[in-house]
Amino acid sequence: MEFDATTFALEIINFLVLVWLLQRLLYKPVTAAIARRQAGIEKTLADARAVRAEAEALKAQFENRMADWEKERARARERLAEEMAAERTRLMAALAAGLDEERARATVLEQRRAQEEQQRQAARTRAEGGRFVARLLSRLASAELEESIGRLLLADLPRLPAEELQVLRAAVQAGEAKVVSAYPLEEGLRNRLAEALGTLSGKPVACDFGQEPGLMAGLRISIGPWVLSASLADELKFFAEADHGGR
Amino acid sequence: MAAASSFVTEVFRIGPFAITSTVVTTWGIMGVLAAAAWAARRRLAATPGPWQVVVEGIVAASEEAVRAVLPEHWRQVMPFIATLWIFIVVANLASLIPGVHSPTADLSLTAGLAILVFLAVHWYGIRSHGLKSYLRHYLQPNPILLPFHLIGEVTRTLALAVRLFGNMFSLEMAALLVLLVAGFLAPVPLLVLHIIEALVQAYIFGMLALIYVAGAIQSQELEYRRKKE
Repeated sequence: MEFDATTFALEIINFLVLVWLLQRLLYKPVTAAIARRQAGIEKTLADARAVRAEAEALKAQFENRMADWEKERARARERLAEEMAAERTRLMAALAAGLDEERARATVLEQRRAQEEQQRQAARTRAEGGRFVARLLSRLASAELEESIGRLLLADLPRLPAEELQVLRAAVQAGEAKVVSAYPLEEGLRNRLAEALGTLSGKPVACDFGQEPGLMAGLRISIGPWVLSASLADELKFFAEADHGGR
Repeated sequence: MAAASSFVTEVFRIGPFAITSTVVTTWGIMGVLAAAAWAARRRLAATPGPWQVVVEGIVAASEEAVRAVLPEHWRQVMPFIATLWIFIVVANLASLIPGVHSPTADLSLTAGLAILVFLAVHWYGIRSHGLKSYLRHYLQPNPILLPFHLIGEVTRTLALAVRLFGNMFSLEMAALLVLLVAGFLAPVPLLVLHIIEALVQAYIFGMLALIYVAGAIQSQELEYRRKKE
């Protein structure tokens, strides 16, 4: 263990040189690199904080917008509910009016149907009655009855309405009268009948007498378009057609 | 000036000056450290690789240790203290290479480092507070303590030199003796102890140097701040 001054001095120099070398080659570059990385990390963190702050702001904005949208939606829903209620009320009123109208129409149709049914029933009754009366009258029909009808006709002729008489007179101008009956008429009745027609028309009327058993009993006088029925068959026909406005 | 000890040999001479194996080994260590630092500087990247992580870890650990003791003056002191740690660790571990002796087992080198620490303490102290203010701390808290301050300066410097030299020299000597007595591979556990001792001694030397420098810088810190305010 001896001390060497040369080694002592050289080691001092060596160490100072080593300090200088490491300061230039190691400490400064490495410290700078660490500082750069630290600065980069700080910058990244700052950027991340800025991005986060921006995201927070966007989130808050989005939440505010969502809240506004929620309020707007609630208002729109209320408006829609009000409009739906109004529309429902209007439609219910229209439906009620339509139902009333339909009910009235149904009532009218029902009344008309009942009326028609009543008319059909009446027509059927008249037809039944007509057939019944026809069967009865066909058994009662006779020459005596026909003579009685002839006398009634002669008694009613002078009471014909004025317009009937005008038509009769106009028809007499055209030609002769045709008289048909269910039974052969007596000569006296024929003469009285021709005389009564002549009196009514104002001039002599030539009569052509005929026979038609379908009349059952009674007469039918035809002068041109003018026809006067006074027989059971025509009366029954008039009775049956009375519902349809017949004579 | 012949070789100083059994581990130190004269390699060559430059005129009257003998260049010992300690100096040559130191040059080798300096070359390795400078080359490694240069290579590390060239490969510095934003995303560090394994090698850069190790280098940055060494520098950052040294920086943190110095900053913990000297929060305000760490930039001035850190290169000196970090170089002490790095150099002494590598120098202590150099003896693990066959045929190479640790330079720190030479009292001339440890004395040189101790003298550098001695000078650095006064340099940083005077640089921080000025010569008068720095010298005044030898008279505090009482001028009667001046001799003890002076004795303390000498003894702690001597202790620095002898502690490192004694530990490393004794480790090498013990390994050599075990090798001679027990044979091949027997000193392996002792070499493991050598590694631990090398790290511990480097840490102690550097930390004591840091504490001495910090003591010099902070000796007048309170009074300096009071005057400044």
